[in-house]
Amino acid sequence: MSTPQPSPESVAALVAQFETELAQARTARDAQSVRDRYLGRKNSVVASWMQLVASAPVDEKKNIGRYANELKQAVEARWTRYSESAPDAAPAGAVDVTLPGRVPALGHRHPLTVVRDRLEEIFVRMGFTVVEGPEAEDEWHCFDALNMPADHPARDMQDTLYLATPITYSDNDRRTLLRTHTSSMQIRHLQAHQPPIRIVVPGRVYRRDDLDLTHSPAFGQIEGLAVGEGVSLADLKGTLLAFAQQMFSPTSRIRFRPSFFPYTEPSAEIDLSCWQCDGAGCAMCKKTGWIELGGCGMVHPAVFEAVGYDAERYTGFAWGIGIERVAILRYQVEDIRLFYENDLRFLEQFPY
Amino acid sequence: MRLVTSWLREFVDVKASADDIAATLGLRGFEVASIEPDINHNGDGDAVIDFEITANRPDCLSVLGLAREVATAYDLPIMLPSADAGAKSRLATLPAGTSEWLKVTLEDEDLCPRYAAAIAEVTIGSSPAWMAARLQAAGVRPISTLVDITNYVNLEIGQPMHAFDLAKLAGAEIRVRRAKPGETITTLDGVHRKLEPDMLVIADRDRAQAIAGVMGGAASEVSAETTLVAFESAYFTPASVRRTSKRLGLKTEASSRFERGADPGAQALAIQRAVALMEQITTGRPLGPIVDCAARQAEPKRVHLRRARLALLLGVAVPDADVERILRSLGLEVTRTADGWDAIAPTFRVDLLREVDLIEEAGRHYGFDKLTATFPVMTQPAPAPDARIPRDQTVRRVLTAAGLSEAVTFGFIEAKASELFVATTPVPAIAVANPLSGKFDTLRPSLLPGLVDAVAHNRRHGRRDVRLFEIGARFAPDGETRGVAIAWTGGGSAEHWSAATREVDFFDAKGVAEQLCGVLDVPVRFKPLREPFLVAGLAASIVAAQATSRTVADGPEPGAVIGLVGQLAPAVADARGLPRQDPVFVAELNLDRLERARVAASDATRPLPRHPFVIRDLSIVVPDALPAEIIRGTIHAAGRETAAPLTATSFFDRYQGKGVPPGAVSLSVRLTFQALDRTLTDAEIQQSVDTILAALVREHGAQQR
Repeated sequence: MSTPQPSPESVAALVAQFETELAQARTARDAQSVRDRYLGRKNSVVASWMQLVASAPVDEKKNIGRYANELKQAVEARWTRYSESAPDAAPAGAVDVTLPGRVPALGHRHPLTVVRDRLEEIFVRMGFTVVEGPEAEDEWHCFDALNMPADHPARDMQDTLYLATPITYSDNDRRTLLRTHTSSMQIRHLQAHQPPIRIVVPGRVYRRDDLDLTHSPAFGQIEGLAVGEGVSLADLKGTLLAFAQQMFSPTSRIRFRPSFFPYTEPSAEIDLSCWQCDGAGCAMCKKTGWIELGGCGMVHPAVFEAVGYDAERYTGFAWGIGIERVAILRYQVEDIRLFYENDLRFLEQFPY
Repeated sequence: MRLVTSWLREFVDVKASADDIAATLGLRGFEVASIEPDINHNGDGDAVIDFEITANRPDCLSVLGLAREVATAYDLPIMLPSADAGAKSRLATLPAGTSEWLKVTLEDEDLCPRYAAAIAEVTIGSSPAWMAARLQAAGVRPISTLVDITNYVNLEIGQPMHAFDLAKLAGAEIRVRRAKPGETITTLDGVHRKLEPDMLVIADRDRAQAIAGVMGGAASEVSAETTLVAFESAYFTPASVRRTSKRLGLKTEASSRFERGADPGAQALAIQRAVALMEQITTGRPLGPIVDCAARQAEPKRVHLRRARLALLLGVAVPDADVERILRSLGLEVTRTADGWDAIAPTFRVDLLREVDLIEEAGRHYGFDKLTATFPVMTQPAPAPDARIPRDQTVRRVLTAAGLSEAVTFGFIEAKASELFVATTPVPAIAVANPLSGKFDTLRPSLLPGLVDAVAHNRRHGRRDVRLFEIGARFAPDGETRGVAIAWTGGGSAEHWSAATREVDFFDAKGVAEQLCGVLDVPVRFKPLREPFLVAGLAASIVAAQATSRTVADGPEPGAVIGLVGQLAPAVADARGLPRQDPVFVAELNLDRLERARVAASDATRPLPRHPFVIRDLSIVVPDALPAEIIRGTIHAAGRETAAPLTATSFFDRYQGKGVPPGAVSLSVRLTFQALDRTLTDAEIQQSVDTILAALVREHGAQQR
């Protein structure tokens, strides 16, 4: 190849020519040979100009040297730009890294477990101990000791599934049943321990309900109980507020709406400020700004008397929250039956 | 309770809108089911608020009861029914005495401590429009003047009433007594009913004319021809009415009030109000006095309320003036004492029995929103949780990490499903005495039926690979146990482009069970098992291995069954809606038993060996019926005697076919030797391998390949 004499024009022409040749290169090897012809140590355009510098007369050395350097820098800069953007050739043994990897199998916790774990975690941080109790119970623990004697109208509120055969650790000869609430475990725990008591009781409970969009004959509850000296309704509010802010939103608020449960007095429904609209009213809270979460109250003195506690010395609070209820709200589940169908397409939407 | 606001305003002059009243009472214990605005479609503001009344507040199943709540909430005076001419709820002035028209006898006063009656001469017709409209708005169908009056009084003051046609009462008398054996009655709804001897009836001289507190009889029903009526206004004990109503399967407006507790002091008042209404709508006039039979007078309940207790329980100090205002407005008589108040609860407040009940009243109307959120003082550290909780979490972690997803199924199943899974030595199933449906009539003795149904659900929805597990309670006559079950069908390995997918087999399910037992530090063995619901030859029971000194004291005996693993019998799969040809592998473990079989591992770590290990592979041919566990036992026994310590054995190949005689199998065993104190010599190792091989030859006729 004949190399033109160094001049500003020839520098520009050579750079343009280099770019054209590079653009025409089909493979990395072609591009490399283009580069070598311009920048190679021997017999390249730049190398020949450098030789001219050495052999040029003294008064031309300076100019020729400058043109040679300009050419070298311009060609190098273009080569760098080209080689950074050009795809590398695959080295030997290369794989298609975009093919799927072998993902180790990983199952999912049930959403009701995810919620339960979260609830437990929050209350454990507040000094509550998690305990569990039997699902098959007797009437005394489930009703009588909770201030619901046989003729009490409140027993109607919880239509009960009775068992045809006695089972359980019963210390009495009352009828056996599937517990209608985890509150029966309050009684067992109070009987076996002394204050101060601070427990949460997660577990399954049963009602004589048909399974439909919003009802289930079996569902999960988490019960809380704190008993000690000087425990107050304001303490209950503080406990549930702390829970709500950790479970739902840091700006959550709690409202107590007076209600009736035979085993608490005073009793209240727990309303939670809607975390979607922060109380402004939206579809989720049916425009009320509040969402009903469960029931609570101060332990009724009759309950303390049933388990032989000094109802004057000790006071306590208790609450019960439906686990499905929290899961339905949190995950916006439209049909409660989804929790029990165990469809993997549903289960796999929840965390490991 | 459907509250008509114009009716409410006759008792309390509240200016607030229906929405405001609903919201206000909603925060005082009366949940609002619905609000119907402008019921008269004329913009007069009249509305119906439908309140849900809790079981403890039967007094609020009346306009008057709710009016007291509204008066208290808005701090307004209540206008009680009165004989004053200007009263909106006017009472007739009627003396009490004996009647020449009617004789009343209380025979069973334990079930009816008070019975009031009065006679009136009537001309029965249709009620005026205003009364009919009010009843209708409140949800009661207008019938005739007399019946409407009794319903009106019931809705207004909460005292159920009944009217008999006096001409139909034999002997012109009323006997309040228990039913006679075999006695029957045809009630107002036309149903002929058999009575039982502990049911209270209102009878005339000859027979039952009404079921007390539940429903009147057809024979003495008031009709258009009636000219003389006997009004009944009684107090029936809640338990009696509740029992009778339940036994007869008959729930009425009256029974629901009586069974929650009517006002034992309102009987005469109700008659006075009924008579006044009768005069007002000119449908009749009273004849003679009120016959008021009272076995005992209702005693108002005296309750002491301490100021300090109120503040302690609520966690807020309610000002004295508020406490007094609230309690008085609710109808209590309140006297201040040194430490609080003496209060007398009115008879209509059957729920106010002790101090804490008054605390609730004060708190409820003072406002729970005024409570400052505090946190209960902790005086002791929290004890450890129920041991089952961390254990279950471990089990859950192991299983999800093995690729199984968690299922939750019901604690009850259908008997048909339970029967399919019955073991050779069956445990009696526990039946639900009053199931709502056959689908949930038996408590699950095992988690498998529910889990298999969950697999079937997924298969039906086109899912080929299903791996599920469940942790939950199982029920047996000797108690409740916690178990874990797994079910696995489809691929044994994940689908991947690099290789064909292997189908799940016995050893996948067994491996999960082994992993679980290992993590829980329970040494177990697997023994061939025959169960009708598992495929013979592909099933094993999981039993506790030899107990060690570190086993918990009450742990299961060695050999005690802890669980099982195997392939579900195709007939069972088929019966539960799974494709017959799909192998489904299942396992179930008793977690409580597993927990007790735990061998507490030492926390101390073992030092890492400083000298190299040596591996020798040994291939032997043995009869194929010989269990691997026995061969392993022989190797271990021989390995205890060898010069080079045997530290591990593993089976790495199993081959049948060319070069191996029929009925035999070639097994490849990898032996690892290592000493903690020295580097082993070739001679030591060769001698050790020879010793082990010799034992295998001697014990099992093994041939080296």
